[in-house]
This record gives sequence, C-alpha cells and structure tokens, in this order.
Amino acid sequence: MEDNKKNTQAEYIIELNGLTKIYDGKTVVDHINLKIKRGEFVTLLGPSGCGKTTTLRMIAGFERPEEGSITLEGKDIADLPPYKRPVNTVFQKYALFPHLNVYKNIAFGLKLKKVEVTKKNIFGKEVTKLVNMAYMPVEQKVVKKDGSEITKIVPFCRSYQMMTVSTKKGVKKLKKMNMYKKFIDDKVKHALKIVGLSGYEDRDVNSLSGGQQQRVAIARAIVNEPQILLLDEPLGALDLKMRQEMQLELKSMHKKLGITFIYVTHDQEEALTMSNTVVVMKDGKILQEGTPIEIYNEPTSAYVADFIGESNILDGVMPEDKKVVFAGAEFECVDTGFEPGEEVDVVIRPEDWVIKREGNGILNGEITGCMFRGVHYEMTCMAGGYELILHNTVEYKPGRKIGLYVDPENIQIMKKRFATNEFDCELLSNTTLSLLGATYDFNPAALFENCEYDEENDVVKIDGVQTDLKGRTIRVAVDFDKIDLTDSEEEAPLAGNVESMIYKGKNYLVDIKTDDNNHIYADTEYLWDKYDRVGIAINKNDFRLIKE
Amino acid sequence: MKKQTSKFAGFTRKYAAIPYGVFMAVFVIFPLIVLLLYSFCEKSVDGSLSFKFTFDNFKSVFSEDNFSMLINSLLVGLYTTGICLLIGYPIAYLLANKNYNRSAVLVMLFMLPMWVNFLLRTLATKAMLEFFGITMGMGTVIFGMVYNFLPFMIMPIYTTIQKIDYSLIEGAADLGASARVTFWKVTVPLSLPGVLSGITMVFTPTITTFAISKMLSNSKISLIGDYIEQQVKILNYNVASAISFVIILIVGISMIVLNKYDKDNANQGGGLW
Repeated sequence: MEDNKKNTQAEYIIELNGLTKIYDGKTVVDHINLKIKRGEFVTLLGPSGCGKTTTLRMIAGFERPEEGSITLEGKDIADLPPYKRPVNTVFQKYALFPHLNVYKNIAFGLKLKKVEVTKKNIFGKEVTKLVNMAYMPVEQKVVKKDGSEITKIVPFCRSYQMMTVSTKKGVKKLKKMNMYKKFIDDKVKHALKIVGLSGYEDRDVNSLSGGQQQRVAIARAIVNEPQILLLDEPLGALDLKMRQEMQLELKSMHKKLGITFIYVTHDQEEALTMSNTVVVMKDGKILQEGTPIEIYNEPTSAYVADFIGESNILDGVMPEDKKVVFAGAEFECVDTGFEPGEEVDVVIRPEDWVIKREGNGILNGEITGCMFRGVHYEMTCMAGGYELILHNTVEYKPGRKIGLYVDPENIQIMKKRFATNEFDCELLSNTTLSLLGATYDFNPAALFENCEYDEENDVVKIDGVQTDLKGRTIRVAVDFDKIDLTDSEEEAPLAGNVESMIYKGKNYLVDIKTDDNNHIYADTEYLWDKYDRVGIAINKNDFRLIKE
Repeated sequence: MKKQTSKFAGFTRKYAAIPYGVFMAVFVIFPLIVLLLYSFCEKSVDGSLSFKFTFDNFKSVFSEDNFSMLINSLLVGLYTTGICLLIGYPIAYLLANKNYNRSAVLVMLFMLPMWVNFLLRTLATKAMLEFFGITMGMGTVIFGMVYNFLPFMIMPIYTTIQKIDYSLIEGAADLGASARVTFWKVTVPLSLPGVLSGITMVFTPTITTFAISKMLSNSKISLIGDYIEQQVKILNYNVASAISFVIILIVGISMIVLNKYDKDNANQGGGLW
C-alpha cells in the first residue's frame, strides 16, 4: 500500500481532485479531476468560457477553489499564495515589467529565490529557516596579507572569487568576481540562450516585438526552474507565422527542459501539434482526455468530434454489433457493446471517405460543391438526404454522381449523451404545466394514456374517471426535433442563448442554455449563431410522459 | 476618394494647429514677455511700462526681508508636498484597489471639497480651527495647504495606479514576490509618473498661493504670494513681476530635476506631462 502510494506520487506531479470554482453563483469549473504525469505537455482545450483558464489560474494560485484539492508532489497547495508555489506562469499578454529591462525582468524571480538554511540559534539548537538566496551563508577563502589562507562564512551576495576574464582586447586578466552576481548572470544568460534572445539583456522590453516579448516572458518563467510551467494562451497575440514558429520552439524547449508544461488554448490545431495529452473542456467539465491521436480519431462525444477538426456527425442506429445504419445505408463497423437498435452518433472524418464509381460504394451521392484547399479538395455531397463533407486529392466536379465507402475502422460510433430532453414539471392546471420556471400549454389527451379531455368544461377523464391534474409533478420528455426555436423570445414561454451548434448533415443540433443554466437541445434546419437569443416553443401535443 | 483629396488640396493637418499657435502667442508668450519687461523696468506712477532699464526690482527680491519670505514659501511648499505625498499615496493606493473600493463613490468624496470655492473653504477651515481653540501659525497654514491641495496629489497617483495592468501584480506574485515586495518593486516604480505629477501639482501652487497663509495665520505669516498681491495692489507691477520671474525660474528648475528622475518611465504615460 505504502509502496503503491509512492509510485503514484512519483508518476504524477500534480493531481486535481474535485476542483470547483464558483463566480457569483455560476459554476465555472465543475468538480474537475485530472492527473498530470511528470514531464508531460498537457493542453487544456476548449472554447472561451469553458473554465480552462480558471483551472490554470487555480493551479497558479490566483484563484481560490471553492471545493477540491490541488496536490503537487503529494502536498495540497490549494491554499498557498502564488508566491509560495513552485510553478511559474507565462501570461497571455506577457505581463513583463515595463520599468525593467530584459535582464532585470528575467532576474526578478531569481533575486527573490529563497533557500533553506540550517543555523544554530542562540540556544545551540539547529533550526531551519527560509532565507533569501542573497543572504545564504557560503564559505569564502580569504588570503591574508601575510599570505596565509583562511576560510570565512559570508553571505552569498558578498562572496567573490578571483577569475580570469578575457577583456575586449583579448587580454586575459585576473578579476574579482562577485559570486552571487555571477550566479544570477549565468542563469539569466542561459535562459536567454534557450529562448534565442542572447544579447538582448539591456533592451527595453517596450521596444521588443510581440514574439520577442513572449520569449522574454518564457525566459522569465523558466529561469526559476519551476516544477510546472503554466502557459495561458501564450501565443494568442501573435500572428499566424510567428505562432507556428513559436509552437515548434515551445515543443523543443519542453524536450530540452524536461519540466511539466500545462498549456491553455482554444486553438485545436495548436493543441494537437504540441501536446502529449489533450484535455477537452466544456462548461467547466472535462469531456475527454487523451493523446492528440486518440482525441482526433476516437472522440467520445459529438461535441469533441465537432470541436477537434472537421467531421461529419450523423445520427445512426446500431441494429446489431459491428453494424450501423446511417444516411439510409448499412455500414460495417468495429464497435460492439451497444443495445440492438440503440441510437448513436456516428463520426466520419472528411478524409476517411473513399470515393468510388456510382453503385460501387455503400452509399450513392451527388457532388454539390467543390473547393480547392491547398493539399486537398473539399467537396460537399448529398447522399441519402444528408449533406456530407469529403476531402480528397482528386477533384470531383459538382453534379458528378459517386459512390461512397468508409473503412469500418474509420467509423467512430459514440453513445449519445442525451437522446431526448427530460424535464421535471409541475402541472399548474389541466392544460398548463411549469417547466424550468416557464409556463407551457399541454394537451392532457396527448400526454396521458386513455385520457379524454373535454375542452368546454375543462374536465379530464383518465380511464373514464374524472381527475384533477393540478398539483401533480411528472417527468416529461420532449424530443430534439419537437422543440421550435423562435427569433424573438417573447413568442415563447422560455428563452435561452445558443451555446453551441453541431451540424448533423441534415439538421443542426443546437445546445441552448437558459438563464438558469439549464441545457435544452433542439434539432433545427436553421442556422443560428452562438449567443443568439432564442425563444423555446413546444407544441402542446409534443410532451411525452416518462413517469409520474 | 480622389475627388475628396483634390477638394482639400493644400489643406494639411498642420493648419489645424494655427488656432493653438495663436492662443499660445496671445495668452502665454505675450504675457511672459510683458512680465519680463516689467521686471527689468523702473516703477512708474500709474503702473504702466516705463521702459527705463534697472536691476532694482531684482535687488529688492533678494533683500533680506523678501528673501527670507521666499525661503519661507519654499519651505511651506516642501512641507505641504511632503505631507500630501505621505497622506495621498496610501489613499490613492486604497482607492485604486478594487478590493477596498468597488465604486467610484469614495473617489468622488475626496474630490467633492474641490467643488467649493477655495476662499470659502479656507474661511470654513479657519472657523473650525478657531472653534477648537487652535492657535493660528505655521502649523495651521500648512494644515490648510494640505487640506486644499491633497486632492491634486491623490488624483494623478490614483489614475496611474489604476492603470497598472493587474497581470503585472499577478506576474510578480507568480515569480515569488510577496505582497510587500510586489508593492515596492512593481507598484511604486510604476506609479512614479503619477507621484511626480502630483508633486508638481501641489508644490507649484503652494509656493505662490495667497490668502490661505494670511487667513490661517491671522496675517502673522505672509508668504511670497501675499507679497505679490500686495505689490500689485499698490501698482508696483515691477517688483511683482520680478518675484514672479524668480518663482518661474525656481519652478522650472525643479521641474527639470524631477523630469530627469522620470526619464526611465517616460513611455509609461499616466502622468500629466
């Protein structure tokens, strides 16, 4: 048991357990569990507002979590102030000190470095104290006038050594060097060398370009030899070319330094290029965690598939193991373990479609659009009533009829997170119910079995017995395609903002967040924009009873 | 596009500066020249320019009585500025800190006395001091000065501190600096432009104000501003000009010295010059 514990400690440098952050009653980070291995390059990936930066800031110490723990090397650091944590941050906007030059910016952290010193106190007892490194006692050899050498204990900042220094003229001279200054000097110069800015020591940070400032910010962080380097969208402010260059450099720096990197970005390409592990986040939760290849090839949810690269996400049904039906055709696949007839999401990457002659594939379709994209052509194809995206190096002109085939291994099947919306409601009268705080009309005859409704007299008879429905609480389901989205929120009892959209070939699956942070999913043919305000209308006949 | 440029052919942006040039000439350069002329001319009966060259006005400035008054004024200015800085910086720091001050209401409270005419304010101060039975003297004069000019110290410092990017404070903490170290190594250096403009805005008017010293010392203490006022009243514009000229030189020199310290932060902005 003890051994086991030690092992996990050695393997994982940092563990987040049930980490939660709430701002003004809104849960930004929701019980996150994450273990990060030593020396890894981990990327937290997600759209803005998904809680990735807040997670990073909690690790850095700028935010206090409401719940949960952050265990670094076996110690809980969740309550430590940032200046006591062995982590350093590279900020999105660099946060270089404008009143200091490059050298002083980098030396800032070094000069504050504390070391443990064991000293005898006045009672002769040994005590360990944290002191600034400048005042760390070191041995100093002093040559006396008579030539004899003695050893003295002096603070580090006063120790010196005689060293041969080559002057500008190339002459070697013996010079008295302050060891503390030399120590800092060496570290700063080494850090500058790593980021490729040797010789920039005396430059004013305001005179540097964005890329150079970013390098200084990285040097300033790595010079302290942190156990974990936190990077908060560090390349966000750079232009594309510079960004790509820095991506490669950061990756090679990570290899050289061997320290753990935790990187935050909303750029999926950046995440896939740089990291060992990608953590996809949404709404303060971790959706999927894995290597870039796993995340790309085997997304576990339609959301991840949509967020990571382009993909065709379609509704499908599994009639039996290793068979899936979508777009009106039956395909072979490699997935098992689904219930017969279970509804699933099917993901096919655009480059995985194999284009064949019409009739030779599993599915027949017609090319409707074609665009040159550099290495490949991006084509849209109508097949079985669904719009598909295909990537191919061969161009097929619009109007061309083709056959489509997919290798069974390239069909990614995912369990649906939700197949339908479910709500707990209270019946307010025989024909109205309260759903997420809004009042909807419903038709009792459609909701309950063997139910008759006499509209004129407002009388409900279930199995012939007159019943008053008021006050009952029931659980109802509303299918995605039964939810109507309206342009103006006044037209519907409940309103919300569009959080995300996933194109399903035929329609869009829209995730709507109501003002109380409830999610409602709707199938719609119309394209909405993120953050659009929509009304949520439900026809009175479309409620299905799940249980009373 | 082409038509538009031809329509305004010959009109470049530099012409927009003409009104300001005229304004400067009429209201800054010309009065200074008149001031200089007066200070080097003999006194005339009706106060008009006599165009008779003399150094007597400057001699009288450096006469024993006037010179000690000048030194006194400078000392009052220095004390006031120093006390304003000691009180004003912490206030500005707290006001700019969102943890302590969530709205601008507190800032408003500090600015509110500025809306009252300063003579009235000083009279009220006098009445209050007398009510508490405090003897009028140098102490009350400096108290009145500090009370009057404190907002001019707080405001520029408050603005510069408020403008400091919070990520710099976080950055310092991230690099191992405790709150105290962060304050001295980041906040103070970055707020220096505000401190310097605060010093200018307090020091310059305090050495030349009149009325405050008279009112709050029962006319026991008379500063250089009071002396100028008195000379103007008896139409001796020449000595008044000479004194003003000397003060301009003193202020000018102190500004140059201050600016030298500010050079490192020249690009930071936030200050008033």
